[in-house]
Amino acid sequence: MSLADFFARLIPTDLFTGLGVTGGYLFRKKETIQYPEQRMRPKDRFRGMFGYDENRCIVCHLCAKACPIDIIHIADHDERDPETNKKKKVMDRYDIDVKRCMFCGLCSEACPTTPKSIWLSTLTYETATYERNTELYFTKDRLMSWEGVQAFPGVPSPAQGQSPDDPLGRKPTQPSSATGEGAASGQGAG
Amino acid sequence: MPEALLQFLVIPLVKIVVILGVVLLVVAYATFAERKILGYMQVRLGPNRVGPKGWLQPVADGMKLLVKEDLVPDGAERLVFMLAPCLIMAPALLVFSVIPFAPPTDLFGLLPEPIAPYVADINIAILFILGISSVGVYGVILGGWSSNNKFSLMGGLRSAAQLISYEVPMGFAVVAVLLMARSLSLVDIVEAQRGFGFLTWFIFPGILAFGIYFICGVAETNRNPFDLPEAESELVAGFHTEYSGMKFALFFMAEYTNMTVVSSLAVIMFFGGWLSPIPGDDVVPGFLWFSAKVALFLFAYIWFRATFPRYRFDQLMQVGWKWLLPLSLANVLVIGLGILVFRNLLKG
Repeated sequence: MSLADFFARLIPTDLFTGLGVTGGYLFRKKETIQYPEQRMRPKDRFRGMFGYDENRCIVCHLCAKACPIDIIHIADHDERDPETNKKKKVMDRYDIDVKRCMFCGLCSEACPTTPKSIWLSTLTYETATYERNTELYFTKDRLMSWEGVQAFPGVPSPAQGQSPDDPLGRKPTQPSSATGEGAASGQGAG
Repeated sequence: MPEALLQFLVIPLVKIVVILGVVLLVVAYATFAERKILGYMQVRLGPNRVGPKGWLQPVADGMKLLVKEDLVPDGAERLVFMLAPCLIMAPALLVFSVIPFAPPTDLFGLLPEPIAPYVADINIAILFILGISSVGVYGVILGGWSSNNKFSLMGGLRSAAQLISYEVPMGFAVVAVLLMARSLSLVDIVEAQRGFGFLTWFIFPGILAFGIYFICGVAETNRNPFDLPEAESELVAGFHTEYSGMKFALFFMAEYTNMTVVSSLAVIMFFGGWLSPIPGDDVVPGFLWFSAKVALFLFAYIWFRATFPRYRFDQLMQVGWKWLLPLSLANVLVIGLGILVFRNLLKG
């Protein structure tokens, strides 16, 4: 070590470099999101609240089979169309016990319809309730109307036109999902 | 009212009340400033819920600490346990009796004759401050020992070792200032820096002394990067682990009071106290200059906390004994020589 190096080491320049870094951060834009007033928009593929569209669903039971914890309960029966005399599956029940769901998204992957009839990319994550057994047990109608669910601001319920590729419901609604006759036209989305 | 009563009782009492009030307010808002600035430096907002922008946060904290349960652990030495917070807080506040905040003032013509806005201008003020503020270490050690907790004891012992090591170079750094001012009175030290604005402050001849003084000051107040006595990551909270409620608040306030003392002394000894940095300026009251300078130092304290990681204990001792002590001794010699040469040049 030369003498100049020795004296250079005596002046603790690195301390001031560090102070400069933290001092610079003092004036940065703050990352904090003031939660109740501001809400973070999750990424598009964030898995949150279920979206379900009865009109697209073909009652194939694949989602229920894919579910690793068997919380999708489907019941159906066959009916003959009196005009064409063809057999047709009629859904009696489509329930999801969301309180036990781990949001793996396998049901959505298994769904054969296009777009998916069941999906989780709804941007909606405020699903906490005070009562888990009733409020987190979603029947077919509630899955579509989102009654009692606090949707992400601007996100319509599936009954109001949300679809997996268009969570904000901005595209013109497709005929398949536009007429939600089977669904209760609830006003759940807020 | 008899003149003597006014002179020796009423006026000092008023001064004491005002000074204590201001100091405790500064301490309260120093805690708020610390949380806010630390938050900003960590790219978050800090407390902003109580009152507008969080400005009532210290009030809320104080209320919470006042009504909290006051625990005394089993096996604690009760009397000493109670005494320790007082022992650390009282000296910290006592020091403010000799700190000159501003020159004698008649409060813009409100008073018939100018009154000095400090309690006392004693001729050994520096010695008084060094002596009294060292008493605070008893509070730390006794608090650590009486808690009957190994973390507390470790914290107390570390604090003792640290305070003793850093008192020495700090004393020598102060000696350099005394050589320049030729007085131990703080008022005289400030007046010795009067001249041509900031150019005649002691910071320029005494830059090394200032560096040593401030490093030691940070170490004396147990602040980052010298916060070993209360190192959260290893000692829970060090010497005040077992304290809660208002007793903890006293330890906490003493830390910030000591920070204010060290900052005030740094301002008085190196940055011209209440003197204005602009030559010939007497528009802004001295008190405002003093407050602004002290605020900058308190900010520096918080800045350090946001920046520097903690020293290891052997490193701490090494810095104190192997670097600061020889440097401060050399500094005293150099300054003394400089003064000798300078004075002889002026004469000859």
